[in-house]
Amino acid sequence: EKWAATRIKHPATGLALQNFDSTYSVQLGPLWLSVRAALLSERKYGALLNNYGHDDVQAELQAKGCKDFPSDIETEAQPCLEQEPEVAGEEESSRVSVNKSDLDAQQLPALQLSPNIKCLVFPRGDITRFKPARPDMFGCLGYYLMDAASVLPCLALNVQEGHNVLDLCAAPGGKTLALLQTKSIGFFGVNDASVSRTTRLRKVLHSYVPKPLLSDEKLRITTFDGTKWGEFEKNTFDRVLVDVPCTTDRHSLMEDDNNIFSKNRTGERRRLPQLQLDLLLAGIEAACPGGEILYSTCTLSQIQNLSVVEQAIHTAREDHGIQLQVVDLRPLTHMFRKTFDFAPDLPLGEMVVPHLAANFGPIYMCKLRRLT
Amino acid sequence: RLLCSSTSQGTVQSPQHTHEPHPLSKQTVTELSLPSLVDMGFTDSQAEHIYDATSKLRGTSASKHSLSTLTVMFVLGLKPSSVLTILEKCPELYTINELHLHQRIGNMRKLGLVEGSLQRVVSHFPQILTVPVKTVKHMVLFLKEKCQFTSQQVTDILRDSPAVILEDKEQLEYKFQYVYYRMGVKQADMVKSRLFRYTLEEVRCRHCFLERRGLYQTPDKKGQTMIINSKLDSILKFDLDTFLTDVAKGSAEEYEVFQRLMAREWQEEEEQLHGSIEA
Ligand SMILES: C[S@@+](CC[C@H](N)C(=O)[O-])C[C@H]1O[C@@H](n2cnc3c(N)ncnc32)[C@H](O)[C@@H]1O
Repeated sequence: EKWAATRIKHPATGLALQNFDSTYSVQLGPLWLSVRAALLSERKYGALLNNYGHDDVQAELQAKGCKDFPSDIETEAQPCLEQEPEVAGEEESSRVSVNKSDLDAQQLPALQLSPNIKCLVFPRGDITRFKPARPDMFGCLGYYLMDAASVLPCLALNVQEGHNVLDLCAAPGGKTLALLQTKSIGFFGVNDASVSRTTRLRKVLHSYVPKPLLSDEKLRITTFDGTKWGEFEKNTFDRVLVDVPCTTDRHSLMEDDNNIFSKNRTGERRRLPQLQLDLLLAGIEAACPGGEILYSTCTLSQIQNLSVVEQAIHTAREDHGIQLQVVDLRPLTHMFRKTFDFAPDLPLGEMVVPHLAANFGPIYMCKLRRLT
Repeated sequence: RLLCSSTSQGTVQSPQHTHEPHPLSKQTVTELSLPSLVDMGFTDSQAEHIYDATSKLRGTSASKHSLSTLTVMFVLGLKPSSVLTILEKCPELYTINELHLHQRIGNMRKLGLVEGSLQRVVSHFPQILTVPVKTVKHMVLFLKEKCQFTSQQVTDILRDSPAVILEDKEQLEYKFQYVYYRMGVKQADMVKSRLFRYTLEEVRCRHCFLERRGLYQTPDKKGQTMIINSKLDSILKFDLDTFLTDVAKGSAEEYEVFQRLMAREWQEEEEQLHGSIEA
């Protein structure tokens, strides 16, 4: 009897698995076997380093064998990085490179990443776990444990000194915290529609960031419906992170509580792509011309990733007269291929796919720049 | 008590005694000598090996068993070289009482291990001759009653994986149940795939790897699955590389990490179970 009990006793997780088996085996082909095994096994974390802490946590973690992945890049990657945008530009007109049109920017590296974001991970194949962070003598926590792949959208957002930044779906705040590590944000709008989750986000920020930096003129926490953003704050932000609710693939396979695949949430699940599209469009409107928007999810689903972005680019142009450019993130995937496995040959955006030896993700991201 | 101390002196102390014929040995015709070993068909160096191996026994009551053990082996039809290999694998055999040896071999014949199989079993797993008849009978009963193997299947199991006799029954039952319920494999297939040659960890790790990759499903009540499961035989019999390329379609890197993850997972499960019993 105990053997029967270990079988699909959890209907929602079972439904999720069925759903993924049928969609992802087609979408990913044979790669799905490997991704599936990783998703069903223990995930890896990264320790987002808190620059506001006082202990030398980095040295401590490095002594245990961790590496700061954003700085742990392959040196031979550099020349490639400079070449790649040109190649990309010739190959495909939809994948316009970062610096292609801008003469000024041509002297800069092909892809700029947000500075000061440090995230420590155990190397490929190492399954050591992190201990929970301890507060320093000022009660400030040294690191925040999160999927290291979730740091990539924050790096890719490339926040520059004095930028106005909007985090449209921010709770529980991992990416918010990563963006705050840059110490270069001018004004930071932090929003999430869920009151309870926003409360959690507040708590997170207060255990990591000194109070003065969370003052009203620097940071504003709201609990609005993000889809309506365009109605009250258009053309405002230099950088917008749109980290939308999705089928949260890993969570849906492991936890029955609050599972989006449970029967009573079917409607909500079906409406996700529309909600994602509305949120992305709102984020696009909230950005100023020249500003950059980063769309991200933690699902492998094409319908929630590529299709949403494609639709948003189309609708932004048709209905709002906003021209967008897709920013090529291939230099980024090239840089971090030591730490993450990326899906090969995605027509739009980039995706970290889980692998047993590098069990991060899934994270999809696509970067857009407003031309008008 | 007096007898005891004198024997221990004879065995532990004064190694020179072992090289010269011990005074006591002359009294018994059952002592081994180098020439007698050569007479049995051992080469000089084989004879020396055996002579050295039994040197500690010389002069003790156990010493007479060495000769009977060799005799029994030869009666079984084993070649001198095989006999030597067997004794090197399991020196304990030198000291086993002849009567017990006969009983144990007789019992194995009764269990269906006829000529050929019997020799193979003894060659591969000589330890089986050190196991009391009662223990073997218990295990046979266990395999028949708890695991519902037929007599012929039990014979096959003993022939293919005699080491099963010495396994912990609880572990064995767990392995059986795992394969029966969790993998949905019937007894006949277990025998065919020589299941009991593999540790629970090996079986479970390969199975779980396939399962998480979507290549294995526990059959439902009617024994049906949505996919075609690999046969237990092809899950177990291949070396790791072949298993990975042909059956699991995965990389060595993945499997290596997976093994470590599983080991930790199972250890933690066990600890939890343990904790909850104690609590
Ligand atoms: C994937 S989570 C965000 C995770 C977060 N960025 C982080 O890194 O910790 C998606 C969030 O979107 C929020 N959300 C759902 N619908 C929303 C809406 N209409 N407007 C704004 N936020 C919404 C959910 O409450 C949820 O917290």
